[in-house]
Amino acid sequence: MAKDIKRVSAQQRKDYMRVYGNRKKSSLHDTYAEKADKPFLEVKDLEVIYTSNKQIVKAVNGVSFQLKRGESLALVGETGAGKTTICRSILRILADPPAKMTGGDIWMDGVNLTDLSEEEMLEVRGAKIAMIFQDPMTALNPSMQVGKQIIEGLMLHNDYTPAQAEERAKEMFEMVGIAPNRMVEYPFEFSGGMKQRVVIAMALACNPVVLLADEPTTALDVTIQAQVMDLIRELRNKLNTAMVLVTHDLGVVAQNCDNVAIVYSGQIIEYGSKESIFLHPTHPYTIGLFGALPNMNDNSERLTPIAGTMPDPTRLPDGCAFAPRCPHATDACRTGVIPEKEIAPGHKIRCIMRDKEA
Amino acid sequence: MAEHLLEVKNLKKYFKVPAGENHAVDDITFTLDAGKTIGVVGESGCGKSTLGRTIIHLQNATDGKVFLNGEDVTNVSGHKLRQVREKMQIVFQDPYSSLNPRQRIETTVIEPMMNSKRFRTHKQAREEANRLMDLVGVDYRLRQAYPHELDGGRRQRVGIARALALNPQFIVCDEPVSALDVSIQAQVLNLLMDLQDSMGLAYMFVTHDLSVVKHISDDIMVMYLGQMVEKCDKNELFSNNLHPYTKALLSAIPSTDIFSPMQRVELKGEITSAINPKPGCRFAPRCPYATDACLEPQTLRELAPNHFVSCCRAEEIN
Repeated sequence: MAKDIKRVSAQQRKDYMRVYGNRKKSSLHDTYAEKADKPFLEVKDLEVIYTSNKQIVKAVNGVSFQLKRGESLALVGETGAGKTTICRSILRILADPPAKMTGGDIWMDGVNLTDLSEEEMLEVRGAKIAMIFQDPMTALNPSMQVGKQIIEGLMLHNDYTPAQAEERAKEMFEMVGIAPNRMVEYPFEFSGGMKQRVVIAMALACNPVVLLADEPTTALDVTIQAQVMDLIRELRNKLNTAMVLVTHDLGVVAQNCDNVAIVYSGQIIEYGSKESIFLHPTHPYTIGLFGALPNMNDNSERLTPIAGTMPDPTRLPDGCAFAPRCPHATDACRTGVIPEKEIAPGHKIRCIMRDKEA
Repeated sequence: MAEHLLEVKNLKKYFKVPAGENHAVDDITFTLDAGKTIGVVGESGCGKSTLGRTIIHLQNATDGKVFLNGEDVTNVSGHKLRQVREKMQIVFQDPYSSLNPRQRIETTVIEPMMNSKRFRTHKQAREEANRLMDLVGVDYRLRQAYPHELDGGRRQRVGIARALALNPQFIVCDEPVSALDVSIQAQVLNLLMDLQDSMGLAYMFVTHDLSVVKHISDDIMVMYLGQMVEKCDKNELFSNNLHPYTKALLSAIPSTDIFSPMQRVELKGEITSAINPKPGCRFAPRCPYATDACLEPQTLRELAPNHFVSCCRAEEIN
């Protein structure tokens, strides 16, 4: 069985070499270690639209954030807020059409990813920036042995011989707690938690410097969720990987992240350190979100849901997108662009009512 | 009049699979009073949904009894089953697949009423359907719409209105909020609690989200591989739980308290299979406290009033 892996991988390697064999190593290699303090990944004024039925959906409207090495940022928000779109546009894997990046830059270690050619991007994806997808059931190729799926990426991004790649894949399997002899099995032979661990092994196999984790544990039970988050934390500590974690579980945020960005209608409406967001949530939406979640430490009888639903992204209201649902909204909230304001060091909100109070 | 609204006695549901018999629900016993909620929690595949479906007779029970108002309703059929169904309803997990995509919202709610002959005329049924949809908050303009025009939260409201159509006493809520967004989840939970207060409904609330179950339940039952390992009052469960699995489950919930790191009980390995299980505690292979005594069949013991535990070492380890 093990032979089988080698044989096909060698064939794949040949194919890859034929297509991409003469690539030059880009300037991205091996320059990260010294720059610990500078922002390593910087997303600036990102804008993404989807076009469907001649309607324009504004999915991301000017999102900016920075990430240092080893740091972790949580993107928190409701379904449809644009969290996954932000992650996918960093990797430039949005399907175009219907999606289109209409503005913004993504800087990684002094290189603007939006300027890179598609071929140069191939060196970034998986090797420098890796993504853990939301649904482990669909992120794996169902007709390919899981071991081969990891080896495929390893061969692409490293100068490994097939034997070395297999060795490395074995290491990764051991690291995520799956017996290496299961490498020859197919995804359907694994449970959901184990599949997610395979996806994590795949994402971390090439020692990425940035990990985009898109709801890595939403499909899992709490006990498995705890195991998976432990694993991610352990591996990040070892490799000093920065992480963008998409989730709506505030418990997961509290245990795993340094900074929190609350996303609403494609905008970051509140950004700050974990402490400032959890202890002093300021934007009315953030406060609403905290009130709507059942809390283990709280014995209140009723939840306080946020009235209404997210605005139709094809017809975003003028001014603050949250104004139609906001208890504090005034006429001033419904016109113009709501600027971002720093209300405490590192704690920024987009709300004209609350920043006056503060 | 019987003492309890619902009484489940030694209920078993086994499925025949190629590898043998899957003990999906194995020897579950509990009672539920009107106006109360029992929460059922456990990892996926532990038989929570099967338990709910077997109680309201969407599947035949392999063994055991279900009593509703003191009357044996296990494996009834025909006309009798139709009568029983009026008292026991279900709200399904997935609001996207549990509504007929070709039926208007109003028709979906009216159909069970006409089918059960609760109302003589369509007009009466329609009035009642409108009253129920007012109650659960389905907008007037959406009542002639088709399910695909509604978002998940509104569809789940329709599912709740349909469950209420026959004026039931007992509703199985099979993960009714797990497919919904956080802010919508709060709206639906509040709705369910309001309906319980005003109509005296009893719920069996199946979920794997422990913070939701804490919020809505009176009693909580913890299941592991088809068996009940612990059942008690919700506050007791969170403050004074006795079974090692309950401890591990609760300690795995990420705490929102940012200053105290989690004190986790580490669980090794995956949930094992319930196909042809060995006698003895099914949690023993993952349990940090397991001894040889755990390989013997475990009995459910009442260690404190209304606190049932199925662990032979419960006193020792606490």
